[in-house]
Amino acid sequence: MKKKTPQNCGKCGLCLNVCPVYKVLKEEPASPRAKLQLIKAYENDTLSSSPLLKEIMSKCLMCGSCTTNCPSGIDHYSTFMEMRRKMVEDQGETPAIKSLTYLLAREYRLKFGAGLARTGQKFVPDLFARNYKLGNIPLKNFPTLNATPFRKAHDVIIHPDKKPVGKVVYFTGCATNYLYDDTGVATIGILKHMGYEILIPRDQTCCAIPLLFHGAADRASKNITTNINALKGHDVDAIIVDCSTCGEALTNEYPRFIEQQGQNPSEANAIAEKVMNILSFIDQQFDRLEFDPNITEKLSVTYHAPCHTKNNFNAHIIVERLIERLPFVDYKRAVDADECCGGGGTFFYEYPEVSKKMVDKKIENAKAVNASQWLTDCPVCRMNLAGNLDTDDPLKVLHPVTLIYSALKDI
Amino acid sequence: MLDTQVKNELMTIVDTGRYLDRPEELACYAYDAFVVEALPDAVIFPETTQEVSDIVKIASRYKVPVTCRGAGTSVCGAPIPLRHGIVICFSKMDKIIDVNTRDRYIIVQPGVVNVDVQKALAPFGFFYPPDPGSMNTATIGGNMAMNAGGPRCLKYGVTIDYVLGMEVVLASGDIIRFGSKNIKDVTGYKLSSLFCGSEGTLGIITEAILKVRPLPETVKTLMVTFDDLDNTAKAVTDIIGSGIIPVAMELMDKLTLNTIEDVANLGLDREAQGSLLIEIDGVKEACEREMTLIIEKVKENGAIHVQEAKSEVERERLWTARRSAYGVFAKLAPDIVSEDVTVPVSKVPAMIRKIIEITEKYGLKVGVLAHAGDGNMHPMIPANKADKEEWQRVERAFDEIFQAAAALDGTLSGEHGIGLAKSDYLPLVMNKQTIDFMKKIKQAVDPDGILNPGKFV
Ligand SMILES: Cc1cc2nc3c(=O)[nH]c(=O)nc-3n(C[C@H](O)[C@H](O)[C@H](O)COP(=O)(O)OP(=O)(O)OC[C@H]3O[C@@H](n4cnc5c(N)ncnc54)[C@H](O)[C@@H]3O)c2cc1C
Ligand code: SF4
Ligand code: SF4
Repeated sequence: MKKKTPQNCGKCGLCLNVCPVYKVLKEEPASPRAKLQLIKAYENDTLSSSPLLKEIMSKCLMCGSCTTNCPSGIDHYSTFMEMRRKMVEDQGETPAIKSLTYLLAREYRLKFGAGLARTGQKFVPDLFARNYKLGNIPLKNFPTLNATPFRKAHDVIIHPDKKPVGKVVYFTGCATNYLYDDTGVATIGILKHMGYEILIPRDQTCCAIPLLFHGAADRASKNITTNINALKGHDVDAIIVDCSTCGEALTNEYPRFIEQQGQNPSEANAIAEKVMNILSFIDQQFDRLEFDPNITEKLSVTYHAPCHTKNNFNAHIIVERLIERLPFVDYKRAVDADECCGGGGTFFYEYPEVSKKMVDKKIENAKAVNASQWLTDCPVCRMNLAGNLDTDDPLKVLHPVTLIYSALKDI
Repeated sequence: MLDTQVKNELMTIVDTGRYLDRPEELACYAYDAFVVEALPDAVIFPETTQEVSDIVKIASRYKVPVTCRGAGTSVCGAPIPLRHGIVICFSKMDKIIDVNTRDRYIIVQPGVVNVDVQKALAPFGFFYPPDPGSMNTATIGGNMAMNAGGPRCLKYGVTIDYVLGMEVVLASGDIIRFGSKNIKDVTGYKLSSLFCGSEGTLGIITEAILKVRPLPETVKTLMVTFDDLDNTAKAVTDIIGSGIIPVAMELMDKLTLNTIEDVANLGLDREAQGSLLIEIDGVKEACEREMTLIIEKVKENGAIHVQEAKSEVERERLWTARRSAYGVFAKLAPDIVSEDVTVPVSKVPAMIRKIIEITEKYGLKVGVLAHAGDGNMHPMIPANKADKEEWQRVERAFDEIFQAAAALDGTLSGEHGIGLAKSDYLPLVMNKQTIDFMKKIKQAVDPDGILNPGKFV
């Protein structure tokens, strides 16, 4: 079905109470409905561009809950992305976001930045680190950077542990490459265990979603082309992602972007068809997993469903089912397992007070179920949840693959 | 813009974060789900009754219009600040003050969302029956001001039937309280009937004591389809006529079913000309007996397919379909007009025939949807307001629909209210003396006419 534009919004308001930002702020301008009305007014020239208009547009987690719940089928996601681009064009970008998009646009800059940040992290005086916050997250709670970027630490082709059953491409995303190599190690480990040969194309780069969110379309364009070139033409069973935001980019945004640029989207479409979230991939072939029979004690586990898993892949149901199927897990669902944590790209950084309220509630409810592991399949959610827990908190935040990998039988 | 003096005084009551008046922000309070829009001069978010009273005192002194707003889901323009001035938005005055299921009441501030009342009660095995289709967003204050109903009001009654007591700020800024925590209370006038349904024109609701009910032991949900819309309507009349009062009885025609199915893929029957979503609840044995009777009645009226929801998930799916009807219609055209004329249930078949006849005459598309068990019609006409010629046809069609309803002993609105949408039609169902009487009440309580001016009184 063709997605609908702001013109088709019936102003029914059903999207208000599904919007995590509205639910905290309780002000209409924060709502998806208002954003659409303002976009309409801007496009009809009854409202002109202003710093406030830009701020209203960026006070959004780009979580997609409004799109999922809108009975009129409005495509908020693309509408907002396009409006954000126009706002950056009209109003410029804040220095902090500018440097972020600058970094993400080029792999070598990221590497360079990561190097700087690492030395920085070592030298930041303890007191300073304890008191200083980036957004709502205390600096000391930020994840440390991978000692070596994940892709550099691994071969381009990795062979399976047993008789090969197939071949996959692994799109690692920035987070696994620079921050959370445990996710990458586990993903590879599981795929090998299942019998897959893994290809990790060297020249992949940031998926470009953060750039698109911040209206940096020209920079995004370069990343998209680089990634399409890295991912196209492989004769594989699937292109695996471990982050649903990357997944969403590859499946929805790339083809749309290419089409918008007036180019032929057939390569992007072919890639989109093969993209699969690692957790769905595991769920489909669950029988290929052999668990360590020595694990007898059950781990109590809870889950936070990232918005992009929920709203783009609709895969949170699959993930929860997968967690429940794990023989060594006692799954304890938190009442708000599928509510947004307020991390949303750089939202936690731009609107810390809003984000903090959301994450505190999540933590309260997760603690209420007395789990020892808090699983989530999005690196930003992980950073946000873990960053707001004390470093010595018994509740640990992990990607589900890490837990699964740790329980596999050696073969 | 408000006069600087007025603004300065208002700003002594609330901090900057709770006072909005930049154009981008005001634009977000110019609309509801109806088609007319008007900009306020300022939006203010009180958190306590005292703040409301202080705000109104200032407004009253300077004679600045005050329009209340909950979530802005009204479909008749009720919260539109037609004469500009101040919008008092209750979205941040949203505390649940007391849940007492032993004495069967809940006390809430006006900004509490209906669904949050349900969530607060569910753990105790209780619920609050009024369930407007907008319950996930709409506020209790808005529900009370509109005397909102919903599907299950067929059996349980509407908002006013659940109001035990209220706190109201008058146009003078005075605070009044009436009613109590008692299920029975005949002390003085029943003032709740004055404010409930007054659409914010008589007073400002700042707190409510609401009656709650224990959740029923059993709920059964049935989806029935027919190959004839007239028979669908007749089945409704027959079931109610046989003495059964289901919780809800929702009628949808072919266009409605198909429009929902296009969007939601819920597995609805695309071929059916009409369908009924019927729900009953109560003691298990009684439900079973009623169910048998209902199935008998629908079969007598030529039902082609009868399906009982087997699980909570399936039930939810059927209700999701029904709830999304309004929204999916909105996607058919830039605007949607949905009215809710209501007729005695025995006249439902005749009213539906009229609606179809009239819309055909004017060459309009119509989705027929109804809380049929209580005769509450919801014809939805997708149209484009910018297309003047088409819009004229829409207006003429609704003229005739209102007239047809009046002729069938019906009324203008069952639950959506009058707002801006229907004020011109009041004389169809009320004589001049009655309208004058309402004006006298308004005059007495709000002599300067500052509360929600420009509306039906
Ligand atoms: C998809 C959809 C489905 C709907 N389904 C139903 C339904 O099934 N049944 C039904 O009855 N209605 C329905 N409605 C209409 C609407 O949701 C109801 O009228 C609801 O009660 C409005 O609540 P609100 O909080 O959005 O109020 P608003 O729309 O913000 O305001 C409505 C009126 O209440 C006044 N008001 C608000 N708060 C106060 C207060 N504290 N004190 C005094 N006055 C106040 C406003 O001034 C205004 O006149 C539906 C609307 C939509 C969009
Ligand atoms: S749910 Fe969709 S149609 Fe309704 S107000 Fe939101 S965007 Fe508009
Ligand atoms: S994308 Fe998420 S945060 Fe943004 S408007 Fe929609 S629901 Fe709200």
